[in-house]
Amino acid sequence: MPTQPTDQGPLTSQFAGDADMLELLDMFVSELGARSEQMRDLLASRRMDDLRTVAHQLKGAAGGYGYPMLSQAAGVLESQLAAPVRDLGEVAHAVAELQSICDRAIRGHRPAA
Amino acid sequence: MSQGTSTHVRIDAANLESTRPLVLAIDDSPDVVRLLQVRLKSEAVEFASASSGLEGIELARRLRPAVILLDIEMPGTDGFEILRMLKESPDTVQTPVIMLSGLSSAHDKVTAFDLGAADYVTKPFDIAELRVRVRAAIRTFTLFQMLAQRAQIDGLTGLWNRSHFDRRLVEEVSRHARHASPLALAMLDVDRFKHVNDSFGHPAGDAVLAGVGSLLRKIVRDSDVPCRYGGEEFALLMPDTTPEDAAAVCERVRQMLEQVTWPRHPEHNVTISIGIAGAAKATQLAPEAWVERADRNLYAAKSGGRNRVVWTSIESPLQLNRAG
Repeated sequence: MPTQPTDQGPLTSQFAGDADMLELLDMFVSELGARSEQMRDLLASRRMDDLRTVAHQLKGAAGGYGYPMLSQAAGVLESQLAAPVRDLGEVAHAVAELQSICDRAIRGHRPAA
Repeated sequence: MSQGTSTHVRIDAANLESTRPLVLAIDDSPDVVRLLQVRLKSEAVEFASASSGLEGIELARRLRPAVILLDIEMPGTDGFEILRMLKESPDTVQTPVIMLSGLSSAHDKVTAFDLGAADYVTKPFDIAELRVRVRAAIRTFTLFQMLAQRAQIDGLTGLWNRSHFDRRLVEEVSRHARHASPLALAMLDVDRFKHVNDSFGHPAGDAVLAGVGSLLRKIVRDSDVPCRYGGEEFALLMPDTTPEDAAAVCERVRQMLEQVTWPRHPEHNVTISIGIAGAAKATQLAPEAWVERADRNLYAAKSGGRNRVVWTSIESPLQLNRAG
């Protein structure tokens, strides 16, 4: 799959300045690392249905936390996993993309004081 | 993050008896639930959530929310099936359900609306849009409830009407049989009502019926169900009330009505005859049989000279009369 070199800069939530969201964002971002590892493990053990559930939940939630790019990438992974014939290479690529965005979100997040 | 089928139920409302409408979110993703809770904080609502559909149904039956936010894709029973179950239960059939879904195909929307969904929002949701949709659903529900209640109220007396009585009687008789809780039913009939109408005109008759209505509403307790049964006849359903206590309540009604001075005919008092059937312990009497027993005592009160309360305790058919 041809890919453009992606922007690797830190990613900030659209709601970073929203007082209501500070605590929630902390909680959401603090779990992203574990989620990213979980996806890697699920892929390694080929537990594709569980992986799909994680992708599905991330897709539904991330946009609401101000990370539309994360939602979108999770959506890509979910639809690849939903395909009748799964392409392992593409799934692995989508997981890597998603992990990279998770990583950027973690780097871009400033915890509430 | 939990991926299993374990469920949890959270009720955030400090005071669920408050009059603020309750929003129930049913979603297996804790991220989404937390987000909804925070984003709906600015609305004047209480918030409760369940992490599985079946748990959500249980909570909906118990808490009677004003609106349900229901995720479609959940492990185990999915949102469509939960929606079907909510719409099949009389407890929740009227509750508006807003579907939350990552699916946005027309087919899924059609399925949701066909099953009775009030609205459909795709995830990730725009919070301003979700807020107004929640508000609109609550508004519809509140109006619906108001209309439904109004349809159960008698216009002249402000009491519950006959159809409400029929429904409550069945409910209370079955509760009484199941839980062995006391139950009493009184039938009340205004004495010589035709005479009031003939001598002082129909408006005077209406004033008497309205007066009996307001007297009943004043005297009875919150748990009692005062109804206009038809014409000049009233019914008073008293759950968790022994025959003796029911007789005492009715005796007060009788005495107070007797003392009312009517502006349209100050020289003419109005009295009422009351027959009560009551049981302190469980009985297997059918709802119609309760009305018959109370009616029988009402006739006894009439033939005994009117303006009196006659009651029987169902397990011991000993009759006691209280003359006026």
